[in-house]
Amino acid sequence: MNDSAVTIRLDGNGRVYQPGETLSGEYLLESVPPEGVKAIEVSVLWYSEGKGDEDFAVHEFWRSDVEEGDVIHAGRPEPFNTILPRSPLSYEGMILKLRWCVRVRVFPNRGKEIVGQKTFRLGEVPAAGDPTS
Amino acid sequence: MARKLRFYEKKRGNRRTGSRTLGSAGEAVFFAVFLLLGCAGLAAVFALLVVPEWRVNHRFVAHHCTVLDKRIGHVENEDGTLYRPEVRIEYEVGGETYRIWTFDVHMAYSSGRDDKETALEPFVVGQQRSCWYNPADPSEAVLVRQASWWIWLVMLVPVSFIVIGGGGFIYRLLHWGKSAEHRAVMAQRVQPHDLFGANGGSSREFPNIPDGADITNSPGTRLKFRLPIAQSPGWVLFGVLLACLFWNGIVAVFVVTAIGSHLEGKPDWMLTLFIIPFVLVGIVLIVLFIRQLLVTTGIGPTLVEISHHPLHPGDRCRLFVSQSGRLKVNSIDLLLVCEEEATYRQGTNTRTETREVHRQDVFRREGFEVHRGLPFEAECELAVPAAAMHSFKADHNEIKWKVVVKGDVAGWPDYERSFPVIVRPGNGRVNA
Repeated sequence: MNDSAVTIRLDGNGRVYQPGETLSGEYLLESVPPEGVKAIEVSVLWYSEGKGDEDFAVHEFWRSDVEEGDVIHAGRPEPFNTILPRSPLSYEGMILKLRWCVRVRVFPNRGKEIVGQKTFRLGEVPAAGDPTS
Repeated sequence: MARKLRFYEKKRGNRRTGSRTLGSAGEAVFFAVFLLLGCAGLAAVFALLVVPEWRVNHRFVAHHCTVLDKRIGHVENEDGTLYRPEVRIEYEVGGETYRIWTFDVHMAYSSGRDDKETALEPFVVGQQRSCWYNPADPSEAVLVRQASWWIWLVMLVPVSFIVIGGGGFIYRLLHWGKSAEHRAVMAQRVQPHDLFGANGGSSREFPNIPDGADITNSPGTRLKFRLPIAQSPGWVLFGVLLACLFWNGIVAVFVVTAIGSHLEGKPDWMLTLFIIPFVLVGIVLIVLFIRQLLVTTGIGPTLVEISHHPLHPGDRCRLFVSQSGRLKVNSIDLLLVCEEEATYRQGTNTRTETREVHRQDVFRREGFEVHRGLPFEAECELAVPAAAMHSFKADHNEIKWKVVVKGDVAGWPDYERSFPVIVRPGNGRVNA
């Protein structure tokens, strides 16, 4: 999911990241007037998919809030970076999948919040049932 | 036209697609109502019970009076007749004489006549007694002063409403308008990683991987650590026994009733047919119990020791297995198993599903005997797959690794005993 109003780009796009590596990239708010944004949240997080109820945990979180004196440049790419943790690694199981992503949540002054998300792989664990596993 | 506000839609577990704002507002209103009810209840308890009793004990003036009459007052309601003791007294304050029916400040009706009669016994008509009157209104007086302990119990009800309502309301306010990520970060900051095994008792170094401290706290005799068993056979036996007694105890009542009806010559065929499936389940439970009893008492303890722990993908380690008892063993197998476990809510039920994603034969021995005092012992090598996913534990999902000992014993039911192990990630890469 990558909402048209939010573009997220990761350095080394598409490659597999390793634990302890730096994940860096930038996000860009498009077609959002600068004065129309109240706050922006950027999270690096993992979440589960599959049979069980969703679990998720936030590894890194940044929030810029106009009310707290932060300046938000809506039309300008904003960089971010974080050192990735040692676990949990991305996983494609039978009833459980673990996915990592960068999620940008934009809170406009008017209307519903806008969410952009870019998934990436942490580690190279083969899918469950894969002959190499 | 898309709806702006969704009131109701499909929901499974925590996943919902309705308006979060509306949901939060609903929860806030719910807790606010709880809080208001609690406050109103507490105010009522104070106004009707605590304050009047305090006034009598601290503000009323001691005096004397003459007992003129006594009786048991009563009222009828849907629960039957309720009673209270009443004494007519005469006393004089400021030159004015007052004659009133009184007893204590509450003058409350309750069930049971005997205790009221007992309460009236000390009051003899014509006798002088102590009384306490209200200086602000001398026509109000009591013969009995008390500090009622039960008022504190009554107070627990509104106080619990206030705690639940207030706590929930403050929680909702603190999280109002905050994203799921923001709330999660707040919760992670408040909750230390290792406290009460949060995040599966994981360490900060390896988030969401159990630290396995309970696995390495028992030294082995041959190898470094003795692995704890996942479920002690004794506890399993106890659990099956409880289930068996509970189920069959209830079923037995209906069986006795049904048999009784047949013996009396008035067979209740509806009841007889109705209880048949329940009786069958009861028989299955008895068979399970006997089987577990045989496994627990007949097959001795199984010990597994490991040369190092935690494990990593591609690791090789030594395993030692010991099986006691007096057995003729057809085969014994050591396996390395990985399971995914998912917990989800379905309606009001919480269900758990387990799926085995890896099973690896580690060791097998066939056709041997175990003699009392001479346990079967063997050592073998365990190779953790290089592509293994690490152990993982979150609130609703889990990846579990375990060493399984599976036995096929002549004349006994097959048995399986599990010994959990923790697999940590290597460096994230796979050396396939």
